[in-house]
Formats: sequence, C-alpha cells, structure tokens
Amino acid sequence: MPRISLQGVVKHYGGIKAADGLDLEVNNGEYLCLLGPTGAGKTTALRIICGLTRMDKGDVLFDGKSMVNLEPEDRKAVMLSQTYALFPQLTVAENILFGPNIREMPQEVKDRTLADMLDLVRLTHRPDALPRELSGGMQQRTALARALATGVDVLLLDEPLRALDARLRISLRHELRSLAKSLGITTIHVTHDQDEALVMADRIAVIREGRIVQVGTPAQIFDDPVSPFVANFVGQSNFFVGVVEEKREATLVRGEKGHVVLARPCEQGLGEKVVVGVKVGNTEVHKGGEGFFEGRVERILFEGRNIFLDVDVPELGRLSSKIPSWRLGRLAVGDLVKLNWSADKANVFAMPTHGLERELKVE
Amino acid sequence: MPEVVLRNITMRFGKVVAVDEVDLTIADKEYVTILGPSGCGKTTLIRIIAGLLEPTTGEVHIGGRNMKGVPIEDRDIGYVFQNIALFPHFTVEDNVTYGPMVKDVPRQERGRIAKEYLELVRLLDKMKMFPSELCGGEQQKTSLARALATGAKLLLLDEPLSALDARVRVDLRYDLRRIVKRLGLTTVHVTHDQEEAMSVSDRIVVMRAGGVMESGTPEQLYTRPKDVFTANFVGETNLLEGWVKERMGQKVVIELRDSSVIEVERCDADLGEAVVVSIRPEFVFPFTDGLLSRIEYLTYLGTYSRVRARSQSDDVVEFDVPSIEGKLYHPGQEVYLMINGKAAVVYPRPLEGVSEAVKLE
Repeated sequence: MPRISLQGVVKHYGGIKAADGLDLEVNNGEYLCLLGPTGAGKTTALRIICGLTRMDKGDVLFDGKSMVNLEPEDRKAVMLSQTYALFPQLTVAENILFGPNIREMPQEVKDRTLADMLDLVRLTHRPDALPRELSGGMQQRTALARALATGVDVLLLDEPLRALDARLRISLRHELRSLAKSLGITTIHVTHDQDEALVMADRIAVIREGRIVQVGTPAQIFDDPVSPFVANFVGQSNFFVGVVEEKREATLVRGEKGHVVLARPCEQGLGEKVVVGVKVGNTEVHKGGEGFFEGRVERILFEGRNIFLDVDVPELGRLSSKIPSWRLGRLAVGDLVKLNWSADKANVFAMPTHGLERELKVE
Repeated sequence: MPEVVLRNITMRFGKVVAVDEVDLTIADKEYVTILGPSGCGKTTLIRIIAGLLEPTTGEVHIGGRNMKGVPIEDRDIGYVFQNIALFPHFTVEDNVTYGPMVKDVPRQERGRIAKEYLELVRLLDKMKMFPSELCGGEQQKTSLARALATGAKLLLLDEPLSALDARVRVDLRYDLRRIVKRLGLTTVHVTHDQEEAMSVSDRIVVMRAGGVMESGTPEQLYTRPKDVFTANFVGETNLLEGWVKERMGQKVVIELRDSSVIEVERCDADLGEAVVVSIRPEFVFPFTDGLLSRIEYLTYLGTYSRVRARSQSDDVVEFDVPSIEGKLYHPGQEVYLMINGKAAVVYPRPLEGVSEAVKLE
C-alpha cells in the first residue's frame, strides 16, 4: 500500500485559502486522522489526494510517484463522503457491486468480492435490503463496503461517523479502525472530533487555515502541543499569561497580578512574555495545601466519569478542572479551593503575535 | 409559571407508534433533557410540547393550562432548532428582535432587548453583522438569543448543538446551561448525545422506542441506572453475565462465566438468579487475583489510557489506568482484574439477551 506525500499543496477559492502550503507524509498502512475545525481545509485535502479537486500548486505522490496527471479512477484511492450517498433504489449487494460492474469484472470475481465485503462489514444477512430499510450504522458499513469493493489501496474518509448518534459513534470507532488496519490500506480519516482522533489514529495531523500545525501520535499531540491552539483544541486547557522569571529544572512564570506558576523548561528567555497552557484534566483542585491560585468553586457539573469544575479566581477569572467523579461530594459550590499542577504537565508557549484570543479561536 | 405536564401522550403516524403513552412532568425552572437514540420519539415529543404536532391521544399542560388547540405562537415558548434557522437578510440584531417586533414592541425598547440578550450570549460586537458572516457557533448563539428575546419562560431546544463541531459544542453547552439558569427558565432539551445531556441537565429522561425508560439526575443515571440499556447508553460500561451464588444480607457473590467470583454490594437479585453485572471501566483494577484476562490493546485518552482485555470466557473487559502507568501494559499480557463491588450494578439477565437489550439502533 502506498506512502502518501503532500508537498506544498496550494488551493485557493477566491480569497479563501483551503490549502496554503500543505505538507504531509502518511506511511504505508497507517491510520492517520486529519483533525481540525470546520473550514480548515480537511475535505479539500482529501479531494486533492484522490484527484477530485485540482490543486493550484504543489504535488501529491504515492510511493514517490506523482499523481498530478492521473485521473481519479487510476489512483486506487477512494473517498467516502459523510453522507454515504448510497443509491437508494439499489440493494446492498447492488450498491457494493456498483464499481465491479462498471469495470466489467468477471462474474466469479464479483461473487467473491461481494461475499468478502458482506462478511467484512457484517451484512451477510442483509444483501437484498434497500438502504432506507437499514439503520444508520448499517448504511455506513454498506458505503464502506462499496468503497472497498473496487480494490483500493488508499481509503479517504470524510467524517465517516458524523451522521450517526453520539453513543453509536463511540462504539463504532474501534470497528472502523480495525477494519482498515486488517486490510492494510493507508487511511486518512478527516474529523473535527478530537476524542475520535485520539482513540482511532496511529498519528494525528492537526490542520488549521489550510496548513498542518502539528503531526504526532495521540500522546504527543495531547502532551506536547506545539501551540496554544493545539493545546486547547485537543482536550481543553487553562491558560496563564506571564513573564519568565526563573529558569531551572522548571520554568517560573509570573503574571501581571503577581501570581506565580511553574511549568516545563522552555526555550524562551528570562523576561520574555509567554503563555502557560495546562489541560483541565491535569489541573488539580483541593481544599488544603499549596496552590498557584486560590478561588471559589463557581459551578460543578457531573459528566459521568469526570466532574467538571469552574473556579473563579479573583483578578484572573475562571479556571476549570476535570477530576474523577468519585471526588464529588468532597467539594461544593462556594468552597474556597487551591489550584495547582505539576510543572511537567504545563507547557510554555511564546505569546502569539496576533494575541491569545485569536490564537484559540476554534471556528 | 411554566410547569409542563404531559399526560398519557401517544402519537401515531399511520402504523408507526412514535410516542407510546408518555407521562412526564417538568417542574418550573427545571432543565430537563430528553435523551435517546435516533427514532426513539424524542423529537416528536418536543414538537408536541411546542404545538407543532397534535398528539393522537393525551394532553399537554403548560403552566396549568391545557394546550389543546393552542398554536405554537400562543404557547409562549422559545424554540431553537437543530438546523440554524436565522433570517439571512436580517442582521443579528434584527433576528434577535424579530419576536418583539411582531408583537409591536417600540423600537427603542427593542434596541434595549437586543443588547440585553446579545450581551448574555456574548455577541454584542457582532450585532450589525449578517448570519452568513458568523461561524456556526455564533449563528446558534444568535438563534438562542432570538428565542430568549421573546421573553418566554419555557425554552425548547431541539438538538441545538448537533450541527456544530465537537469542540465548539463543548464550549457552548457550558454557556447554554449558565444562561438559562441565570434567567430562571424551564428548559426541555432534546439530544442523542449522552455527554451533552450529562453536562447541561438537572434531570435526564431516557427514551427508547417511543417510551420513557427512566429518568434521573445525571449522577443517578451514571452511577445507579435502573435499566441495563441506560447503563450502556449514558456511558461506557462492561457487561458481565453470571448468576447469584451466595447471599449475605445486601451483599451477594456472583459467579461469572469463567467461574471467577465477584462480590457486589446493594443487590436485590435472588439466589441462583441469572444476572448481568454492569461495571464502568474506571472501577476495574489490575490486581493479584480476580478475572483472568488477556490484553488486546490500549487506547491513549490524555489523562488516562483505556485498556481492552478479553477474559477466558471471551467477555470483553475494559479498564482505565493513569497515563503514566500505560507503559506497564501491552497487548498479549495476562492480567487479573478486580471489580469495585460498591460501583457494580446488577440487573436480571434480559430474556432477549444482553446485546439485544442494549442495542443502540
């Protein structure tokens, strides 16, 4: 299966830069999630890879071979759109065999393909059903089987789970990933859902405004974000703005109002203005002991596995924390609490030139 | 004040029973979410409350008044749709004051109303813009401000966040609850997203196949759900089949299919009864003895990793470990798993089988 390279891909629609110098390497057989907000250029990237959209500049290579002059049907890459687009008047079997029929494959090959595909997506019992007779999950699997029936090497999934219910989406994540992995195909899965990306991807590429911001394993993206945007987009973060005051085994940052926090060692120099970002899940709340800040619990929300707390810190505003829900009952609204984090969970970023608010915007 | 009472509501579309004898009371100022999978009847139900549909049988009372024959515009409700329905050629301000304008509220007063509600949803700076110039989250906030500006004390939200990006949705649901609580509104919110329901509601009503399965606070539904369907629907859980081997007061010993035993507190099942135990992954721990299982894979989830293992009786068991301990576990490894008996919930084994009882579609 091919290794995919995007090199300096540019695509403008009028004033909109859907791809603005996009560079990306996807390994052979890898499951890569392309994660970003609406309008970041995710779908455009997929369309360029499979040849449905012509780029203005740049190159797309499969195993080092340029695809620029190849028609979509010659690339062995198939794109599955979020709405599935099954033929409503055709049965499951007819939908799956649509590609093989057009290519006039021998009957024997078609029979085998159909049996394999039905088996793969667990629809062996429903080959004669029409799409409208199927549940959302089954329609999704039919569409997937149809896409795979033409013998593809590259699978491009455009928000494949979006049309499904939230709970069903969660339970189908693993199924979809293991299906692609078992076939050994190279997969690019586009999503705006960071949980989905964390759970499903070998590696995640975060895209924003037509550019790749960061590529890495789920752990790298979560723990070592390259910018405040990534820190906040993948798992929420608290941010603290201040000036580097000391650099030892940890960085000491002092805010305008005199608060002092600790963070990981950083490249920025003494006296430089920085942003410290910490995941809400790594922000600890307790009643006694030491803390960087003190504030009052403003709100507690029970969210199942975790509880989500808002703490109002005088002169700083609202900071949030996510803690295991067995601690519910030990904290109440109005409680005076301390907030802190371990220095190695706090990332230091250079102050964004366009301001923190603009940097964090998710739409 | 707008208490909403539904009495024995049934809605038929031809042969299909979309809502089946639903009784439900929503207290004044309560935030209730109706949660269920596609096709469970939740949207039909909210449309009946709104007056967009007349139920086949049953009564809707709002604020003590029978709503039979009362059209939506006379029910004094604010309604927010899933598909953001703003007037494209109106500015944000004019969209928000559309309700007051129809009611002939003077211009100056309308300006004050627009400011008040746009400040609440933090869109004052976008007042003069057109919907097409806003992003999805801002459009939906405008819809909310428009619904609030009618002055209605009952707010109906029909999948208000479904069309938005995951990350935007998370931010907006916190705002949503903050705003309606500040205004003291009665709210009915329909969604298929259990996380959304958890973080906004005072109470969640779980629907399935036209009927109400159960209702309770988010905490009740997560920690002590009455039905095994709810246990699986409102959060991920392990479902292990077994039978009651021993009874010691409120405590029971349950033998699982691989003949390992677990102790569960607070269980009503009879001796010898076939049961299914629901235990959430955060309450399963690797230990020196217990359920022998082989690890299949680990999933990194930020502050923790979820480990999926398979027991000798071929049951899937998932458990959570802190991220830093993730390195200690690897696929193929055998572990003994212990279950926190205080957090386990026991159900009679469903006649139709466990997988059928918890089916999502």
